[in-house]
This record gives sequence, C-alpha cells and structure tokens, in this order.
Amino acid sequence: MSSLTALVILLAVLMAIIGGETGIRSFFSVLINGILLILVALLISWGVNVELVILIFIPLKLVTIIFLGTHDYTVAKNSFYSAFIVCLLTSVLVLMMQHFAQAAGLGPEAGEVLVGLSQMPGLNYGMIAVAVAIFSTLGAIAEAAVAMSSGLLELKKAKPDISEKQLRASGDAIGYDVLGTAMNTVLFGMFGSFLSLFLWYYRLGYSIGQVLNEKLFVNEALIIMYSLIGVLMTVPLSTFLLSKGLTKSEVKHEDKHTDTH
Amino acid sequence: MKKKRIYASLIVLLIGLVGTVAVYFATAIYQTDSVALITDKHIKDTLVQKDKDVYGNQDETRKQVLHLLILSGKHKGERYTATNNYYPSQLVTQKYRAGQRIFVNIKKGQAALVNPKRDWVLALVLTITLALMVLLVGVKSFKLMASMAISWIIFYGVILLDVKLNGSGIILLFSAAVVIFSFVSLAIVQGINKKMLATWLSTLLGIFVSFGLCYLIMELTGETEMRFETGEYATQDPRGLFFAQTLLGILGAVMDESTDIVTSLYELVQTKKDVTVKDMIQSGRTLGQEIMGPLINVLVLIFISEALPETILYLRDNNTLSTTFGFTLSLGATQSIISAIGIVLTVVFATGCSLWFLHEKEQGKLNE
Repeated sequence: MSSLTALVILLAVLMAIIGGETGIRSFFSVLINGILLILVALLISWGVNVELVILIFIPLKLVTIIFLGTHDYTVAKNSFYSAFIVCLLTSVLVLMMQHFAQAAGLGPEAGEVLVGLSQMPGLNYGMIAVAVAIFSTLGAIAEAAVAMSSGLLELKKAKPDISEKQLRASGDAIGYDVLGTAMNTVLFGMFGSFLSLFLWYYRLGYSIGQVLNEKLFVNEALIIMYSLIGVLMTVPLSTFLLSKGLTKSEVKHEDKHTDTH
Repeated sequence: MKKKRIYASLIVLLIGLVGTVAVYFATAIYQTDSVALITDKHIKDTLVQKDKDVYGNQDETRKQVLHLLILSGKHKGERYTATNNYYPSQLVTQKYRAGQRIFVNIKKGQAALVNPKRDWVLALVLTITLALMVLLVGVKSFKLMASMAISWIIFYGVILLDVKLNGSGIILLFSAAVVIFSFVSLAIVQGINKKMLATWLSTLLGIFVSFGLCYLIMELTGETEMRFETGEYATQDPRGLFFAQTLLGILGAVMDESTDIVTSLYELVQTKKDVTVKDMIQSGRTLGQEIMGPLINVLVLIFISEALPETILYLRDNNTLSTTFGFTLSLGATQSIISAIGIVLTVVFATGCSLWFLHEKEQGKLNE
C-alpha cells in the first residue's frame, strides 16, 4: 500500500469517528472539492475560456465546501450568501491587481521544470494566474463565513434570549479571533508550501529588492493579502446576515404564536 | 460603525497611497539591477512567426522593440533600445507595457530585461488590506499586523539557521520553530492568559500527535510512492524539506481551529450559567464538525490552486491524469492529508483543553 493511500484511509476513519455523519460528509466534500479543481485544470487544458471556468466554479465550490461540510442549514445558508458576495468582490480586486502585477506563468526555476514540456502551450497564463489567486482565496473566505455563523449560532442556542445588539458585540469578539487565525492558516500554509523557494532565494543570493519584485514571491504575498481582505469583508457581513436572519425568524415565530391564540 | 475608525482608516489609506506612489517612483534603493522607464507611447509589437509544437499547441512568437531611459545606477540618464521576444501565453516569457518601469541589467552596452517593477502593487494591496483592517477591527488590528510581521522575522531567522546547519536536524529545527511561532502568534493576538494557554496547548498536541502518527504510518508503509524528488526548488535534502513544510502546514490550520473552538467554548462558559462537562463536549464536537470540513478545504484549495499552472501544462501536453498527479500533485496531497488528520484530531484536544475553564469557573478563578 502506498503511504498516501494509508494516510487517506486513516483520515477517513478519524473523520467518521470524531465527526460522525457530518464528518463523513466533510470527507466527501474535500474529495469532491479536489476533483472539481482537477476538473478546472482539465477544462482549461482543453482550451475552455478561463473566465467562464472561474465564474462557474466559484459557486460550485462554495456549495461543495459549505453545504456538504456543515450539518446546520441556517449556518450553511448564511455562510453561503456571505461567502459568495465576498468572493465576487474579491475577484474584481484580484482581476485588477493581477493586471498590474504581470506575474503570470512559472517561476525562476521554470527551465528545470519544463524539460520535455511545451513552452508555448497557447493558453492564457495571465488569466490562469487570476484563477489561482481566486481559488486559493475562496477556501479561506468560506472557512471564515462558516466559523462566524456557527460560532454565533452556538451562542444563540446556549442563550436563546440574547438581543441583536449583544449578538453583534459577540460577533465582533469572535470575528477578531477568526480573523487573527485565518491569517495564520493562510500565512503558515504559504510558509509551508514555499519554504524551499525561500531557501532557494537565500542560497542564490537574491537581494530583498529582487525578491520583492520576483514573480512567484509577489504572487504569494498578493494571495495572502487577498485572503485577508476576503476574510475581513466576511466577518461583518456574516454577523449582519445572521443577526438579521435570527431576529426575522423570531418575529415570524411570535406571529404564529399570537395567531393560534 | 464608529467615526474614529473611519477617520483612522482614511488616514491609513492616505499614508499608504503616498507610500505606494513613493515606491512606484523609487529607484535609488535598488542596487543589483538598474531601473529603466519604457519611453514608447506605443510599443512596436510584431509577429515573428506562428508556431505549432509536437503536442499540436498553437502559439505565436512576437517581438517588442522597447526604448529605455535608465533611471538609476552608473548608467543613469542613458538611453538604450532593447528587443523582447515573447509568446502570448506568457508561461515563461514576459510582455511589457508602454510607460512601464522595469529592471534591466546593463552589460557591454546592451540592456538585458530582467523583470517588471512589481513592488508598488504589493504596497497598494497592503494599503487596501491595512485600511480595511483598521476600519473593521479598530485598534486591535495593530496586534494582528505585529503578529504577522514577527512571524516573517522568525521565518527569516529559521531560514538562516537552516542554511547554517545545511539541512541537518531539520525536523528538530522546525519542531522548535513551530513551538515558538504558535506561542508568539497567540500571545500577540490574544495576550497571555488562560484562554491563550489552553489554545496553545491544544495547538501543540494537535501538531505533534498528528505529525508523529503520520510519520509512523509513512515509515510502516516504507514511504512507498513518496516522490520527494518532485519537490521544486530543492537546495537541500528534499525528504527533510518535505517534513519541515508539513510541520508548518499543520501549524497554521491547527492553530486556527484551536482558537475557533477554545474561543467559542470560553464564550459559552462565560455566557451560560450552569454549563456541564457534557454540554461542553457536545458543543465542542458540534463546532469541530462544522469547522473541520471547511478548514481542510482551505488547505486542499491552496495546494491544488498553487499547482494549477503546472498541472494545466502537463495535461495540455497530453500526459495522462495519473502521470500529471504523480509529478505535480502527489507530494502536496500527502502534505494536505497530514494537515487534515491534524485538524480532525485537534477537535478532541481543543475540547479537552477547554474543560479546564469549567474547572476554573467552579473554583471561581476564571476572571482573575
């Protein structure tokens, strides 16, 4: 058995034990999500318009992450709305900034990677860079939306008579922590995947100025900041949507109550 | 929203924009290469030939003629003409734009194009990020910025140490780094208190238990099909690098999750009067179930997205899915799965560590 297969089996078992039914669904959400991105790669490699692929796959991936991964419908619905709105806003920013950054294609070691591969694939790598940035950011936005919504809902369940104002104050508190740590996930995720690149810069004697203008570094730093901007916009939006939604359902409930009496 | 925050945010925005303009025009800070300005209003851009490669991909070779005015260095004020051949795919080549500032390397009277000047884009996006942060989070955002800056500094220090040790004892080095990273980030964001210590403990348990478990499994399966040599930019033992990267990858996710769960359970202990151990475990598990799926997805998305440009290229050149996966995705996939295992185990650790609050509350010491 290969190591990867063994690890995947361990993950599936753990998710089933600790996560129960939701865990099993989350496992499939991760699996489907991975397959969707590989589908993105296939479609683009067949020459399908990259912009179109991005537009179709943003909602598709959000649905997979949020609806399959969470078991509470209120949490899922709220998270989806806020994440979708934020993703669209972030995409506009990404599109503009990637235009200025001109950081498409492969990095400085491309020569070694490209042995036996085409250097002129006839694809739009500028747009592919935009896709990379958007799909990297999307996960962090969805995660923040779910963390916000589920945190607030737990609070509401524990203390049903909480006022909208109190809920928003708690939303601020939870939001700050969610933001601080979403930042860490993205930052350390990047440190992890780019450790060898940074060592490479260092050993090849790149100056700080060179690193700050180098294609791959600029791309990475930009993706970290896009993710932060996305998470930042998600925090107030999910609090707003959830507190509005909760008070609205309360009003409805009271209406029914008075009707029957 | 508070008025103060809006003003503060506008001030940050203004300073940032001034800074961005300064960076855009900055030339003297760069020593290695000279900064040049493309003086053309319209760059002469001609088709050299249409190409078709062995895979049937159609592309073009185009030529740009650029007129350059050197803005810095020994050759300041001199003018050069340079040609740039590029393919519109821009996989390995670069298309330049009229009026742009770029880096050139001048040797023997010839200006060789190096890179477009990209630093100001970083400054601009940083400005937007900081302004939004101040607007939405307020004064506390300085803590987040400090935490991020310090993380970069520690990371730089770790790289220096690693190069000095030349990769020996890399797992030990990065284990130590992870302990320090998590302590510093949590201490800055939350301050040193009981909540933060519980989060830290849960983070460390999550990282090291899952890493140990996965290491054991990899050894038991004899590291079958682990193609460490496909790791890019490897300047030292790729196997060691893989484990170091894995440790950093788990750290981010597990710290995030521990904070989410511990923070919410802490709020619960404080807001609800008669909370029991059973309530806590129930709430922790529910929260964990909600969070783990999306969090694992964050990591999977980051790693596959990063591999997209190369994956697309492999597929474009008629490689099968399994060949492509082996070359571009398998190492990253293994790394993400190990992080995912850490994320799942942390649900247990974070809930367990939060039970401490309950104990403290019973003794009436929670808010001391």
